[in-house]
Amino acid sequence: MLFRKLNKYFKSIRREPVRFILFFCSFLSIIFLFLMLVFILKEGAQALLMFGVGFLVGPVWETNADLYGALPLIYGSLMIVFGALVIAVPLSLGTSVFISEIVPFSIRDILKSMIELLASIPSIIYGFIGILVVAPFVASLFSIPTGTVALTAAIILAIMTIPTIVGVSSEIISAVPKDYKEAALALGATKWQTIRYVVLPTAKSGVIAGILLGFGRAIGETVAVLMVAGNTAVIPSPPWNFLSPVYTLTGAIAMQMGEASVGSVEYSALFGLGVILFIITFIVNTLADSIIHKGTKKGAKK
Amino acid sequence: MMRKGRRAKEFLIFTIFGVCTGICLLAFLWITAILLSGSGTLSLTALITPVLNGGMFEMVIGTVYLLLGSAAVAGPVGVLAALYLVEYAPRNRITRLIDQSINNLAGMPSIVIGLFGYAFFCRALGLGISLAAGWLTLSLMMLPIVIRGSEEAIKMVPQTFKEGALAIGTTEWEVSRCITLPAAAPGIITSILLGIARVAGETAAILFTSCVMITRGLPKTPLDPIMALAFNLYVKIVALGETPDKVFGVALVLFLIVIVFALSAIILRIRYRRKQPWLR
Repeated sequence: MLFRKLNKYFKSIRREPVRFILFFCSFLSIIFLFLMLVFILKEGAQALLMFGVGFLVGPVWETNADLYGALPLIYGSLMIVFGALVIAVPLSLGTSVFISEIVPFSIRDILKSMIELLASIPSIIYGFIGILVVAPFVASLFSIPTGTVALTAAIILAIMTIPTIVGVSSEIISAVPKDYKEAALALGATKWQTIRYVVLPTAKSGVIAGILLGFGRAIGETVAVLMVAGNTAVIPSPPWNFLSPVYTLTGAIAMQMGEASVGSVEYSALFGLGVILFIITFIVNTLADSIIHKGTKKGAKK
Repeated sequence: MMRKGRRAKEFLIFTIFGVCTGICLLAFLWITAILLSGSGTLSLTALITPVLNGGMFEMVIGTVYLLLGSAAVAGPVGVLAALYLVEYAPRNRITRLIDQSINNLAGMPSIVIGLFGYAFFCRALGLGISLAAGWLTLSLMMLPIVIRGSEEAIKMVPQTFKEGALAIGTTEWEVSRCITLPAAAPGIITSILLGIARVAGETAAILFTSCVMITRGLPKTPLDPIMALAFNLYVKIVALGETPDKVFGVALVLFLIVIVFALSAIILRIRYRRKQPWLR
């Protein structure tokens, strides 16, 4: 049975060799994702083996002493991403509902295009805007000497994350079947009640997936964040102090890679940070992917 | 009475949603306005003056080289991959795995892709800090965008077109080549333009793979390092600590390049939707 299947498969390839080329092109994405993990693991192995668990939980990141504990960086990254999501999630949800349920169809395209343009602005430009406008504003608002602190980074990051969340969740919200909504409206529900009790519960998992993707995008953001975050490798005291500078995983890689000589402990430690980032985003993306996949499968069955 | 209360509440809630949308749109307009306010510092002659004389000629050309090269790599591969996934792929575990990898590649931080590019293209393949290494690294970022966009476009081609061709005895590949791809072409071009817009301002991925601050003239071979706008902006602000107003010109040019690509993709898509009667 299997042999016959394989035989048929090879025959179809012989008849149309182009089929194999097409398969190979799409298989490249698996190959490169795999190579990516292998190569950053290989380059990071030295530091990972040298510090062991200490690489993850060590509280000191000090290049001069060759001490590499990534805890302050992980904390810094999570802190500003958390801050960014607190700002971005409510704004994005309001925007997605507004765009996909409330505005008339004719201007929906225009609004969506503008959000898409917001997504295409490069991160270096966001960083530029950050130090030009946002950092001085934060500094004068809280009368602190310099505005390159966690709060500024969180604000910039929030603007950058909004298009990702809006893109995914407005897509999912507009995909809620029309008959669901019509059924609710026919029962005498107002538009808001329909949205609140029918549309949002149906789209819930998709919206969560959107937030997860936003999280993934935010934690991997590099240039904009390092330009405004202050880059000091200590956990703020108290830990929720958003007015102190922080250092992030991505920032450390970008800042220190230039001066780290190939083969040194520092070089390897930076790839170790890459491994941490790879694993975090891999988990988040795979989770979001399976949520969306499950949702579309259920929809297809109906 | 109750009805009136409900109406008022609904209006209030919708207004709040509208304000959310307004804030997002204002953010975009505000960024554009700030950048355009620096247009006074920009002169057309700066675009064609060499970097050594204070212009940005090589940086602009370097950026264009990077974009065209990576589009030349990611475009064909991405379109063929999309074609496979829509038209040929069996529904099995491998196809699902490919799908997951594409999504993962799309969400991978650019700095991790940059690290990989350095370890793999620059060192393992021996390309060094070069234009070619930048092409390959950026094409990895572009690939998922091209695949996803092209998939959408290919899915839109009506089944009847293909069945008509199959009925007169063409092979599957002939159908793809002569019917599906031409019909999906505008959508495919849109996706490639969007991919270019996404990587045009990319800094983290080219940081250690293909750029240098100053080099003599334009690259002669793909193995030469290049100068690029985003990299220049990054080094000037982060490493040299120059104040933002000194680099306004470079930031504005970079912004305009990105917006031109993104906007042409969006306009093309909207026009394409209107032109194709079978889509609505």
